[in-house]
Amino acid sequence: MIKVLFFGPVAERIGNNQVTVAFRPGIRLQDVRDELAAKYPQAFEIVCFAAANGEHVRDMSLPLADNSEVAFMARFSGG
Amino acid sequence: MKPAVRIQQEDFSQDEEIGALKASSKRIGGIATFLGCARDFSEGREVSEISFDAYGSMALSELDRLRSDAIEKYGLLDARIVHRIGTVKGGENIVFIAAGAEHRVAALEACRWMIDELKQRVPIWKKEITPQGEAWVMPHP
Repeated sequence: MIKVLFFGPVAERIGNNQVTVAFRPGIRLQDVRDELAAKYPQAFEIVCFAAANGEHVRDMSLPLADNSEVAFMARFSGG
Repeated sequence: MKPAVRIQQEDFSQDEEIGALKASSKRIGGIATFLGCARDFSEGREVSEISFDAYGSMALSELDRLRSDAIEKYGLLDARIVHRIGTVKGGENIVFIAAGAEHRVAALEACRWMIDELKQRVPIWKKEITPQGEAWVMPHP
């Protein structure tokens, strides 16, 4: 399974701060994004950043291992 | 001594943080600090509280990296960053950054750089709570 985390405004639009996506060999970060964006289009309108296992990811073709933790995040507003 | 980089619910003491920074090296000749506070007014609305959400583990590792990057980039002797999460009332402290260097220019420039980078890199989100309702702050690109 791939654990997907949401925070702040994205979590609010999804109505949940965590979902899981079934792992399949060869699955990439973009595949997870596409699957969830189709399900939660309003939330993904504000997604600007992605992370895998706690690190920023800019290349959405990143292959994911089973039990990865990913996050799709809105623009940050800390400070 | 408390860690140099922290995310915490409770308030912090600027004096304690500056004391810890000074204790790290007697070569420090200048310390620059930034204190971010909760405004009670934003975009024409009264704000009673600000609530923070964070990707805790990633935010902490990004803050650690930010501190290391600043130390390397500006040749600092030490730096400290504390960010609060949870609920912060209008007028209360949100974030404290301190940069210690041999001379003032590096300390001042590093402090400015760290708060600017924090806003770009660290996964923390704020929601303003107003008498009219709540809204997540959406910074412009």
